[in-house]
Amino acid sequence: MKLLEIKGLTARYNAGEVLKGLDLCVEEGEIVALLGSNGAGKSTTLRAISGLMANVSGEIVFNGAPILGLKTAAIARLEIAYVPEGRRLFPGLSVRDNILLGSSNRRGAPATQLKKEVDAMFDFFPDLKALEHAYAWTLSGGQMQMVAVARGLMAKPKLLLLDEPSLGLGPKIVQQVFKIIAEIRQRGTTVLLVEQNASVALAVADRAYVLDAGVLLVSGTPNELWGNKQVRAAYLGGLAASA
Amino acid sequence: MSMLPQLLFTGICIGSIYALVSLGFVLLIRAANIVNFAQGQFSMLGAYFMVILFASLGLNYGLSLFLAVVLMAVFGVLFACVSYWPLRDRNPIAVIISTIGAGILLDNTVLAAYGPSPQVLRGLFEGEGFLVGPIYMDSQYLSIIVVTAVLVSLQYLVFEKTTIGKKIQATSQDREMAAILGIPTALIVMGIFAYSAALGGLAGILIAPILYVSVGISALIGVKAFAANIIGGFGSIPGAIFGGLIIGIVETLGAAYISVPYRDAFAFIILIIVLLVRPQGLFGERISEKA
Repeated sequence: MKLLEIKGLTARYNAGEVLKGLDLCVEEGEIVALLGSNGAGKSTTLRAISGLMANVSGEIVFNGAPILGLKTAAIARLEIAYVPEGRRLFPGLSVRDNILLGSSNRRGAPATQLKKEVDAMFDFFPDLKALEHAYAWTLSGGQMQMVAVARGLMAKPKLLLLDEPSLGLGPKIVQQVFKIIAEIRQRGTTVLLVEQNASVALAVADRAYVLDAGVLLVSGTPNELWGNKQVRAAYLGGLAASA
Repeated sequence: MSMLPQLLFTGICIGSIYALVSLGFVLLIRAANIVNFAQGQFSMLGAYFMVILFASLGLNYGLSLFLAVVLMAVFGVLFACVSYWPLRDRNPIAVIISTIGAGILLDNTVLAAYGPSPQVLRGLFEGEGFLVGPIYMDSQYLSIIVVTAVLVSLQYLVFEKTTIGKKIQATSQDREMAAILGIPTALIVMGIFAYSAALGGLAGILIAPILYVSVGISALIGVKAFAANIIGGFGSIPGAIFGGLIIGIVETLGAAYISVPYRDAFAFIILIIVLLVRPQGLFGERISEKA
């Protein structure tokens, strides 16, 4: 079943058009990666899905209903969680409170239930347990990314949008993050992932789209993309050595 | 020296008023990232609502107080809709100018309606007061201190201990991210405007029996509350409270021991000293927290 379907999506900032008619779909239970160079429109796609882009047109259908034009908070309540680039934790709140606030889209969820879920999050991310009461701004990049993902999961999302989860992290931490992404899918959450680091993304993804200057260049399974010489040279090339 | 305890009591009382108004000021800085220069007008307007309801319409004091505070909350939302909402995505300077303009409009509207002569408003209790050791506890002064202490404690509890308080903090720290999580940020900002106006209005009503009700309240309280905020540390909640108390105490002591005509200058002398010695204010936040 199609969980997310995007048709003819265009988006512009003041500086110009970033997306020029993108088509894309995500099936329920998949991990789909959006790849491409800087400025290709990957992050803009996620921002458009979350209702953060002012100038957009086209169609975004989630779970059978159009969502383009809805307010950001309303989209969150449809159980789409967005973990943006740069983690964007609330610096002056504790790790526990940051994670807890991830459930803000679930109105009416009882506080005792949410507390249990936050505790369960610390089981899932055991490294965070000791940092429970630390302010978010005191954390390292890798720890912040874990908190950001945990906060996203507290939304109980049907669809998790992850923007550059590997950015600024060391190779060991990147592996850990992607192991977690694979586990999240196994728990039944669909993931749409934006990544510069194509090799790690393709290692977990079922399918991937390669964007170039706001249009879709090619899409397919990781094997198909690795097999496409042109794509490999232009978009996966720099990282092929590490794969 | 025997005057000192009495002066301290008076200073804390006046300082409590500055603290209340400054608190409203800080909340708007934190939640909406705006500096509202019409905060003093909130106090002036609250006092005039009280004059209308209690003195002119002759309603009972408690009911008048309740209605005046509710009216101020409603007014806060109206104020937000007119002078903040249309400019919310613009440069913050635009909002600052807009609030200054709104303040001038409010002052002159009230001046046109009531003229320059001060109105008299009685205090919370009709009883006079009592002696505790060397200090004469005037009932109005005492109620100001008690009301401030209660409100400040309640607000601390709400901010630090409840989920709604944490949502407010999240909204103030990163509004877009708060919306991404599904927090109704527009509603929260409007709520803060309502609370901030109600707080300012209440401060105006409490100080009215001491200062009389006139348009002059706006500038007097607004400027001191702003100074309190800078002295305490821009955007700091404990800073707003202590900044207010410090100004209240220093100006009362200064008026008694140094010079009465310079009473209002003392706030600015401390302001200048703090800016020179500790520009981030007494409770200034670490820069890394803002990064």
